[in-house]
Amino acid sequence: MFFALALLISSTALAQIKVTGTVTSAEDGSPASFATIVVKEMAGLRTTADIDGNYTLDRVPSNAVLVFSYVGFVTQEIPVEGRSLIHVALEPDHTRLEEVMVIAYGTATKGTFTGAASVVANEVLRDVPSISFENALGGKVPGLQISPMSGQPGSSSAIRVRGIGSMHASNEPLYVIDGVPVISGATGQLGDYIYTTNNAMNSVNPSDIESITVLKDAAASALYGSRAANGVILITTKRGKLGRPVVKFKASVGVTPDWAYNNWEPANSDEQIEMFYEKYHSTGLYHGETNEQASNRALVQLNNRFNKHGYDFTAPDHTIKSLTIGGPRAGKYFDWEDALFETGIYQTYDLSVSGASDMSNYYISMAYTNESGRIRVNEFDRITGRINFNQKVGKIAEFTTNASFAHSNKTGFNDTRNLYSNPFLQHRNLLFGLYWPTHYDTGEPYTLRYDSYAYNPLYYDNEWDNFSKTRRMALSETLTLNLMEGLVFKSILSFDNSRVRDHVYYSANHFNASSTNGRVVETFTEYTKLVSSSTLNFDRTFAQKHNVGLLVGFEAEESSTDFMRSEGKDLPTSALHTVSTAGVKDANAYSWGNSMVSVLSRAEYNFDNKYYVSGSFRRDGSSRLAPVTRWGNFWSVAGSWRIDKERFMSSVDFISSLRLRASYGVNGTLPTADFGWRSLSTYGNQYQGVPGSRISTVADENLRWETNYTTNLALEFGFLDQRITGSVELFNRDSKDLLQNVPISRVTGFATTLKNVGEINNKGIEIELYGEIIRTNDLTWGLGITASSVKSVVTKLYEGQDIIWWDPTGGDSNTRFIYREGESTLALYGFEYAGVERETGKPTWFLNNDKTPDLTVDGRPATYDFNNAEMVPYGSVHPKLYGGLHTNLTWKGLSVSLDFNYRIGGNIYDATGRDLIDDGYYACRVQAKEQYDFRWTPENKDGKYPQRLSIGSQHRLQRSSRDMNPADYIRLKTVNVGYTIPSKFTQVVRISNLRVYFSGLNLWTWAKHNVYDPEANAYGVKGFELPLAKTYTFGIDVTF
Amino acid sequence: MKKFKYIIVLMIGAVLFTACDDFLDRQPTNSANSATSILDEADAKVAVNGLMRRMISTDYYGRNFIMYADAKGGDLAIRRSGRGLDALYTFSHTQQTNNYSGYWSDLYTTILQTNNIIANIEKIEAEGYTSSSLTHYKGQALTARALLYFDLVRIYGKPYTLDKGALGVPLVLDVPDASLQPLRDNVDAVYSQVVADLKAAEPMLVKTRQNGHINYYTNIAIQARVYLHMNNLSGALAAAETIINSGVYSLYTNEGWVTAWENEFGSESIFELSMRDNEGSLGTASLGYYLMALGKVTGASGQFMASGYFLDRLGEDPDDIRWALMDYDEASEPGNERMGACMKYVGGHALMGDKGANAGSANIKVIRLSEIYLIAAEAALTSNANKAADYLNAIRKRSPNLEPATAATITLDMILDEKSKELFAEGNRYWDMIRLGKPIEYDDEFNITASALTRDKIMDTKTFFKVILPIPQIEIDANPDMQQQQNPGY
Repeated sequence: MFFALALLISSTALAQIKVTGTVTSAEDGSPASFATIVVKEMAGLRTTADIDGNYTLDRVPSNAVLVFSYVGFVTQEIPVEGRSLIHVALEPDHTRLEEVMVIAYGTATKGTFTGAASVVANEVLRDVPSISFENALGGKVPGLQISPMSGQPGSSSAIRVRGIGSMHASNEPLYVIDGVPVISGATGQLGDYIYTTNNAMNSVNPSDIESITVLKDAAASALYGSRAANGVILITTKRGKLGRPVVKFKASVGVTPDWAYNNWEPANSDEQIEMFYEKYHSTGLYHGETNEQASNRALVQLNNRFNKHGYDFTAPDHTIKSLTIGGPRAGKYFDWEDALFETGIYQTYDLSVSGASDMSNYYISMAYTNESGRIRVNEFDRITGRINFNQKVGKIAEFTTNASFAHSNKTGFNDTRNLYSNPFLQHRNLLFGLYWPTHYDTGEPYTLRYDSYAYNPLYYDNEWDNFSKTRRMALSETLTLNLMEGLVFKSILSFDNSRVRDHVYYSANHFNASSTNGRVVETFTEYTKLVSSSTLNFDRTFAQKHNVGLLVGFEAEESSTDFMRSEGKDLPTSALHTVSTAGVKDANAYSWGNSMVSVLSRAEYNFDNKYYVSGSFRRDGSSRLAPVTRWGNFWSVAGSWRIDKERFMSSVDFISSLRLRASYGVNGTLPTADFGWRSLSTYGNQYQGVPGSRISTVADENLRWETNYTTNLALEFGFLDQRITGSVELFNRDSKDLLQNVPISRVTGFATTLKNVGEINNKGIEIELYGEIIRTNDLTWGLGITASSVKSVVTKLYEGQDIIWWDPTGGDSNTRFIYREGESTLALYGFEYAGVERETGKPTWFLNNDKTPDLTVDGRPATYDFNNAEMVPYGSVHPKLYGGLHTNLTWKGLSVSLDFNYRIGGNIYDATGRDLIDDGYYACRVQAKEQYDFRWTPENKDGKYPQRLSIGSQHRLQRSSRDMNPADYIRLKTVNVGYTIPSKFTQVVRISNLRVYFSGLNLWTWAKHNVYDPEANAYGVKGFELPLAKTYTFGIDVTF
Repeated sequence: MKKFKYIIVLMIGAVLFTACDDFLDRQPTNSANSATSILDEADAKVAVNGLMRRMISTDYYGRNFIMYADAKGGDLAIRRSGRGLDALYTFSHTQQTNNYSGYWSDLYTTILQTNNIIANIEKIEAEGYTSSSLTHYKGQALTARALLYFDLVRIYGKPYTLDKGALGVPLVLDVPDASLQPLRDNVDAVYSQVVADLKAAEPMLVKTRQNGHINYYTNIAIQARVYLHMNNLSGALAAAETIINSGVYSLYTNEGWVTAWENEFGSESIFELSMRDNEGSLGTASLGYYLMALGKVTGASGQFMASGYFLDRLGEDPDDIRWALMDYDEASEPGNERMGACMKYVGGHALMGDKGANAGSANIKVIRLSEIYLIAAEAALTSNANKAADYLNAIRKRSPNLEPATAATITLDMILDEKSKELFAEGNRYWDMIRLGKPIEYDDEFNITASALTRDKIMDTKTFFKVILPIPQIEIDANPDMQQQQNPGY
C-alpha cells in the first residue's frame, strides 16, 4: 500500500500530459468503438474510446506505456514518449486462440477450453440460400454428418454427431438457443397423411445467428447430461456491437433451374417402347413361342395400353427393327418433365438494426423468405422477427430479453415412394410420354388412371391440397447479477411455443378419397417448452497464477404437446375444403409431455494458463422414467496442456501454438417415449358403440437412460505464426444400456417389452487443417480441410440375437438392415447378388450356405434361385472418410470462397432400383436410361443387368446387394463471390458498407456411382424423395 | 429497486416451485395407468366391453378359432391352396412354421384382460365396496377366462377324455410381470380351473338376456360344454336342462331358422358376440367372405367350402331347411351344382349382414340353444334314451323328411351328425371328433391343386400327434424352458 502510494506520488512528481487520439482497425480503418486504453502498471488510469474510436486520457506520465485492447484484435503497447497525440491502428488477431466461444452454460476462449467443440461463425452461414442453417454446416464441422431428408423446401435434415449411439431412442443432437434447450426435430402431423417433414429449426432465421458451437465430447456436453449423448448444438443469436446504431439490409434472389446431379434419368419414349416390345417378345420366346407369336404378344401389350392414347403398333417382320408406330399422335410424345417441373425461385429479405452503449445493447431484425421448389406444387414461405435487448441497471444487475417470432407456411407434395402423389416418382417411373393429359379424340382432360399407378397430375393436382403452417414464439428473460468481482448469478426463464396447423384435402374426384366422397383433415399441434435455469458462476485468479472457475446451477424444464384433429368425409362441394361442410365428422384431441429437473456444476482450474483441469457433474430427473430410476448422474473430467507455453518450446520458433487435451465422461440419451415406463390401458376397443378399455402395454419400471462413455484425445497446433493451424482428435464412444424391444413370453399377454440391453461402440478420428498460403495486407488466400472417420459397430445385443430392422423412411422404398454383434450399426442385410450370367442373361446369387450350387461365380458357389440363398450382411452404409474442403481468397474488397463436401467409402442402397431397372418385372413402368443402356440382350451379352422378361420371377423384388452402390462423391456445395464497394464511394450516400455477392449451391458434383444424387438420408437409402437442386443466388448487403 | 427485487423473487420462486416431485409426474391423457384404470363400476363396465371386443379378434371368435374346428373337423375342404389358413386343413404344422401362434398369443392377451378385470374388482371389493353390477362384471370376466382356457387347452393339450395327465397350458390367474416365464400345467389342472371359475362366476351373473355379453345362462352353457368334454354326462345334462327349462331362450322354428341369420341376437343366442363396422369387422377377410364362393362378390376368394362328406350328410334330406343357407360354389357345373358355400355370416343370400348393412360384419353366435339340446341328447343317451331322442328330435325336425329318432333308434352318431348339420361353420365338429376319439375323413379330392398333406386322408385322432398344435417358436424364443415341454412329435 505504501509502495503504491509512493509510486503514485513519484509519478505525480513526473511531468503529466494529456494524451488524445483515435483507435482504428488496421484492416479497414473503421473506428474501434469503445476500445480500452490503460496506462501500464497504473490500474487506476484508464479510459474507453468513444463511438468513433476517439479517446482522451488526462495526467499521463510522459514516460508511461499505453495499452490498447479491443476484442478480436492484438493488444498493443505504445510508449507515450512525451507525445500528446497518439493514433493507433490495431491488427486483427489471427491466432484465434483467444477467440471467445459459447460453451455449455457460459463462454470460454478457444485456447483454454478442455472439451471437443467446433465453432461455425455467421460468415459461413450468411450467404447460403437455405431455409434452415443446418444445411450450411456440412463439411465444416469434423465429426458432424448432415443428411438431407429431401430437396423439398422446408424439410428437415438428420444430424449425426460422431456416429450412431442408439437403436431405439433418438440419434439427433440437443439444440440450445441462447442458453435455452428448445423444441427441435420434425413437427406437425402432416407426416401421418403424406410423407413430408417440417423442421422446427426453420423458425430460426440464419441471418440472426451469430455463431454455432457443436459440442462433441463428454467434457463439452456432459453438462447437458441425459440428452447430450448425441452432441449438442449451441446457437447464439446476434447482439449489438458497441458503437453507432447499425442498420443492415440484405436482399437476395436465387434461381433453381435444375437438379444438382443426375437423378435416374429416364430413357426416352422411343427407348421405352423398344424395351417394352423387346420384353414381351423375349418372354414369348422364353415360353417357346415362334418369332411371330412372340411379336404378336408384344404388339397386343403395346396396343392394349396405348391405343386409347392415340397410338397403334405394327411389326411386319416381327422384329423390333420393323416396329412402326401409327395413330393420330404418332411421332409426338407428351413432355411430362416440362409439365411437372419448373425453375424454383428463392428470395429472402433481411432488415436489422443493432447497436450498443456501455449500458445497453440491442439487435432487432425482421426477415421474409420465400422458396418455391422445382416441383410446381411446392412452396415455403416464412416471416421471422427477433428482438434481443440487454440493459444494465445499476452496478450489478443486467436484464436480457430475447424475443423471436416466426411464421411459416409449407405447401408440399407427397415426398416418398407413395405411388399416388409424388410427381417426381410419377415422372421417373410411371408417366410414359405416350400418356397425355387429354383424350386424343375429344381433347377433354384425361381423368382415368393410366396403367399401373400412373395418373394425370395436371388434373389431380387441382383435386387435392395441403399445407403446414407453423407459428413459433420464443421469449426468454435473463437476469444477471454481478454480485462481486468474479461472482455472477444468472437466471433464465424461457417460454418456447410452436403451433403447427396441418391441412390435407382430397376432393371426391381424387382417387384417395373417392370411396369416402372427399376427405379433409385438419390438425393442430402445439408444442410448449418452459425452461427455468439459474446458475452461479465464480471466476478468480489467485496469486496471479492460479485461475479458478466454479459453476453451480439448477434447471427445470417442462415440455407439453397438445394435439387436436378433426376430419370430415363426404364433402358436399369441391369449392369448400372444410370439415364444417362434411357429412361425416370425426375428431381426436389429447396431449402429452415430459419434464425434467436438474442440478449441475462445473469446476475449472488452470495453473498459469499452462495446465488446465476441469470437471463437471449433472444430476437429471426425468418424467420419462419411473420414480425409482428417474435420477441419473452424468459427469466428465478433462485436462489440457499448453505445451507452447513451456520454456523448452521457446526455442522452437516455427511452432506458434501447441496444445494437448484429453477428456473422459458420461452422458446419456432418454427414451423416446414419454410414458414408456408406465403400464397403460387404452380405450380404443369400442364395442357395440360404447368405449372398451384394455391393457395395452406392459412396462419395465426399471427402464433407464441409455448411457454413453466417451473418451477424447486431441492435439491442437499452429505453425509459422499461426499461418498453419489444425487439430487431430481421437475419440471412443461406448453407448451402453441401449433400449431394445425384447421378446417376452406371450403368456404375459404381450410380445415385447422395452429393456436396456444393447451396446454400440463408435470410435474415430477427426482432422482439421487450415493454412493461410498468402497473407498480405491486400491479399489473403487460405485453404482448409476437415476429415472424419468413424467406425460404428454393434457390440452387444439381447442374448446375442440378431435384430432385423427396416429403415423408417416409409413405404416400400426402405430396406432391410441387421443389428448383429460385430457388424456395422448400418449393416445392409439380404441376398448377395452374383451378377448376370454372361451366356444366359440370368441373375445369379451367392449361396452363402451349404446347399448344392447351380454354378460358381468368382469361385464361389452360386444359384439362379434366390430362394436357395442365405441372407447375409452385405455392406455398410457408413463412410470410411468424410468431410469438407474449403478455400477462400480475399483481395481488397473482393472475396471468393469455395466449399466442397466429400465422402469416401460406404454405400448407398438404391431403393428405387427395383422400379427403375425392373428387369421387366412390372407390366408398365418407365425405365431409367441406365436400364436401357446396360440390359442384357442376346446381342449385348456384356449387359450388366439381366435379360428383361415378364415371367413372374420375383427376383427383382428382393432386397439385395444388387442395389447397393458406392457412395463416394465430392460436391462443390457452395461458391461465394462477394465484393465490397470501397467506402469512399458509398460514404457519399451515407452507406458505410455495401457488398454485392453471388452464391451458388450444389453447382458441381462428381460421384462414383453416377446414376443418382450421392447425398442420401441418414440410413443411406435413396427413395423417390425430391432430389437436391442447383441454386444460383445474387444478393446485396447494405450497412448504414 | 423494489420492482427488481420483486422480479428476482418471482424468478427464484419459479425455480423453487418446479422442484417438487409432482413436476416429474406426467400422466398420459389418452391412456390410463393400468394399475388405476378400474376403480368403480363404470370403469369395470368399459373394461368388460373391451374384453368382449377382444374376443372377436381375428385369431379368436372373429374368424380363426371358428375355422379351426370346421377345417380340421372335416366339414370343410379347400379347392385351391394358398387362399389362406390352408394349413389348418393340411396339418403342415411345425414348431417354426404354420404354427398359428396367433391362437397362443391372442388368447393369452385376452386372458390378461380378464385377469386385470378380476384383480381390480377384487381390489375394490377388498376396500369394502360391492354392488350387484360390479359382481356381474366380475362374473363375466371369470366366465370369459374359463372359456378362454377351455379353448386354449383344447388347442394345445390332449383331449381330457384321452389323457388328462398330459401337458395343457400355463395357468396365469393374475396380471403378470413382464419377466414371467411359466411352464405348462397339465390338462386336468386347466379343466379344474375352468370349472372352478365357472362355478365361482355362476352366482354372480344376472339371468336376463345380455345381448353381446355374458349372463348366467352363458356360464351354464359353457359348463354343459365343458362337462361333456370331461365326460361328466350328468353334469352336462343338468346344465343343459337348466337352460332348456328356463324358458329364456327358444328354438328357431323351421321358418325362422333362415331369417335368424339375417338378424342379430335371435331367440337361440345364449352367447353372441357383436361385430360391427369399425369394431373389428374384417370386411373381405371376414369369416363370411372366407366361406362365400369364389367371386360371389368382389373380394370373396372361396377359402373353404363344405366337404363332400358334409354335403352327403346334409343330403340325407334334400328338403333339410339348412340347405337354405348353402350356396353354389366354384366347383358347380351346369346340371351338377355343388352347394358348398355357406351364407351364415353374410346375412344370408341378401348379403346385407345381420344388421341390414353389409356382408362384411356379422355377429358371432358362440353358443346357441340348438347346441344345448344336442348336448342334452348326448348326455342323456346312456341314462335315458327317451329323453335323448326327444332332445335330438327338437333339432332333427329341421330335416322334415327324416324319421324322428326313438329310444330304440337313437345312436351317438345320429346326434353327432345332427350337430354337424346344425352347427356347420360354427366351430364345433373337430372338438366332438377328438374328444370321442373318432377318425376324421377329409375331402382331399375336392382340392384340384396338389397340396402337401401332412396327415392321412382318414386321420386317427387317438394317435396322430398333430391333433394338437405345437407350442409356437416365438414362445420358446422368449421362454426357452418350454422347449422341454413341446408337444410330443413336434
